[in-house]
Parts: sequence; C-alpha cells; structure tokens
Amino acid sequence: MIDILSGIQSTAAALDAERQRLDIISENLANVNTTHGPDGKPYQRQVVVFESALQQAINGGAAVPTLRVAGIEKDPRPFETVYEPGNPDADSHGMVSMPNVNIHEEMADMISAERAFEANLTVVKNARAMALQVLSIGKH
Amino acid sequence: MASVLLNNVRKSRMIDALFNQPDYLAAKKQLDAIALREDAIASNIANLETPGYKRLDVAPAFNSELQRACAARDPQEIASLKPELAVDSKAAAISPDGNTVNLESELLEMNKNSMANTLETQLVTTDFYRLRMAITGKSS
Amino acid sequence: MTPISSIQPLISAYGMTPGGSIAPSLPVAPAEQPGALAPAQPTGESFSTMLGKMVADVNGKQISAANAVNNLQAGGDVSLHQAVIAMEEANVSFQLMVEVRNKLLDAYQEIMKMQV
Repeated sequence: MIDILSGIQSTAAALDAERQRLDIISENLANVNTTHGPDGKPYQRQVVVFESALQQAINGGAAVPTLRVAGIEKDPRPFETVYEPGNPDADSHGMVSMPNVNIHEEMADMISAERAFEANLTVVKNARAMALQVLSIGKH
Repeated sequence: MASVLLNNVRKSRMIDALFNQPDYLAAKKQLDAIALREDAIASNIANLETPGYKRLDVAPAFNSELQRACAARDPQEIASLKPELAVDSKAAAISPDGNTVNLESELLEMNKNSMANTLETQLVTTDFYRLRMAITGKSS
Repeated sequence: MTPISSIQPLISAYGMTPGGSIAPSLPVAPAEQPGALAPAQPTGESFSTMLGKMVADVNGKQISAANAVNNLQAGGDVSLHQAVIAMEEANVSFQLMVEVRNKLLDAYQEIMKMQV
C-alpha cells in the first residue's frame, strides 16, 4: 500500500502512546476519591512509562527513535491521610487514606498529552493534503 | 566536444532535452527536499516527548547548493543534487532530558513546507501545461 | 520556460531548423538554452531513423513511469511526486510523438496530392 508519509509508523506509535496516557489520566481522575477499591485499599495513581524504541529508517538513513509505552506503573508516593471519623473506611483514629492523585497534576498531564496527540493528528492531516496536491500535478 | 554531444544524440537522449530545463529540474529537486522535510517534521513531532531525541531536518547545505546550481543554469548539476536528512545542530535543548523539539516551531515549519509544496507542484503543472500547448497547439 | 524555448532544443537535436524544413547542410546556430544538445551536424539521417529513435525514447519514458508506479505501489522507495511526474513526462513525450506523426502524415499527403 502507498504510504502518504514514510514516517507514518512513528506518528501512529506516538498517537497510540498518547492515547494510552490519556486513558490512564481519566482513570486517575475518575478514582480521585476512591478510598476503598476491590482490594480494600485506596486507589493508587497509575503512571504511563514511555520508552524510546528504534524505528525503521526514513529514506535509508539511520534508524529513528519512536515513542512507545513501556508499561503502566503504580505511583509509589504515599497516600494522604485525612481526618474523617464518619467515613466507613476510617481507621481506629478516624483517619482515612486518600488516593495519591493530585487533580492539578493530572490536569496538567492531560493538557500536555492532548497537545501531543493533536499535533500528531495535524501531521497526518497535513500529509494527506500535501499528497492530494501532488496527485493533482498536471491536471488543469 | 561536438562528437561527445553527437554521441548523446545517437544514444537517444532527445526526448530528455524536453525536460532538461533548469527551472523544471530545480522544481523537481525542491519537491524531493519537501518530501524529505515532511518526514523529518513528522518524526520530530512523534518524538516530542522522547527523552534525548534531537530534531531532524534537511541538511542546510542543500539550499545553498541548489541556489548555486540554479544561478549557474546547469541542468547536470541541478539533477545531481541529493537532499539528505541530518540532525539539526542549531537546535537548542528544550527539555532537561536533551530533547530539542519545540512543538510551535515544528508546526510552523510544517506550514511553510506545505506552502512550498503548493508552489512547486503548481510550477511543475504550469511547465507541463506549456509543453502541451507547444506540442498540440490546444490548451487542454 | 516558454513553449518555444522548450521545443528549441528538440528541434535542434533532430537537425531541423526552426522554420520546420530539414536542412542538414546548414549549420544550425548553437542553442543558447543550457541543456540543449548541440545541433546535429549534417547527419544524412532519414526520417525513419529519427522516428525510430523517438519511438525508442518515448518507450523508455513509458517504461520508467510504469516502473516508478509499480515501485510506489509495492511500498518501495519511490516517492509519490516522483511517480506522478514520471507519468506526466511519459504522457507529454507520447503526445509529442503523436503530433510529429500527424504532421509528417499531413506533409506526405500534401506531397502526394501534387500534380506531377
């Protein structure tokens, strides 16, 4: 098949990686108040770890790195504890452990992931527009 | 000299004379460079967050070589140029991990490249249109 | 590139003067356009040899265009614009050959109509 962009593989990989990151961020945000998960413990923030993988060369040059999700890890930062004696999850002192999700941090991450995602989409749209122009060479 | 050229005539280079015009050849070379730059920009944007990635671009020597060859109006020289991708040594590190990609300037380069593509494809189309006019005497 | 300047090298290469008549014994002025082949010295070539060469050239263009398109479709290293331009060049070359053939045919019929 014809590639509209010979580097389309790395764009596709980046789109995939950023989308996974956005999925994890939404999960974190949805569980910002989950003090009692299926394992009985508060929700632990998840983090997407990116790695750089070498991709097929552009036009016979050296192999080019591309973005890839190496894995999804749990954030080891400790839970915050809040004094809420009325909460069913409170311990003997009335302290409740809250998930280690910081909304502001998640929102900032989300903005940067969306920015990267949109940028890669723009690359694809632009490549398509340029290919259509090239195809109209000679037509008057 | 004359015998060498006569030999060229005998070696069936006659139709090639139609397409051996410096401006036309320069437009074709520019299109090669534009396609290459499109790949480089796609790779740069895909690796926006890859640690240590250095942005790629068409080697800057190409532009000056093309200008020189065009000023000399030498079709052989123009046709022998070969644009290549190289790491952009002038790009400064944007993030602490050494990544040199700045999204805004990549998007700007993408727009410029797109405009250049429109220009060069129109130049080539006009060249073909004129050739057809000269050959057939009709405008379509 | 004006239409005339693009045809001039071709005319010189085929040993014809710009007026359209075949005058192999007249030295044709060296073309000013860069890239033009030197005017053919009096070659004494017949039409058939010239036409044969032209057909071979046009065929060569068609073949390289077909190769470029095949390479592109197979995912090779030919880029889209190279394939498109190769096809256009092949088309224009073919058109030139057809027009030359038409004009030669007209000239022949013109001659045949002449009263002896």
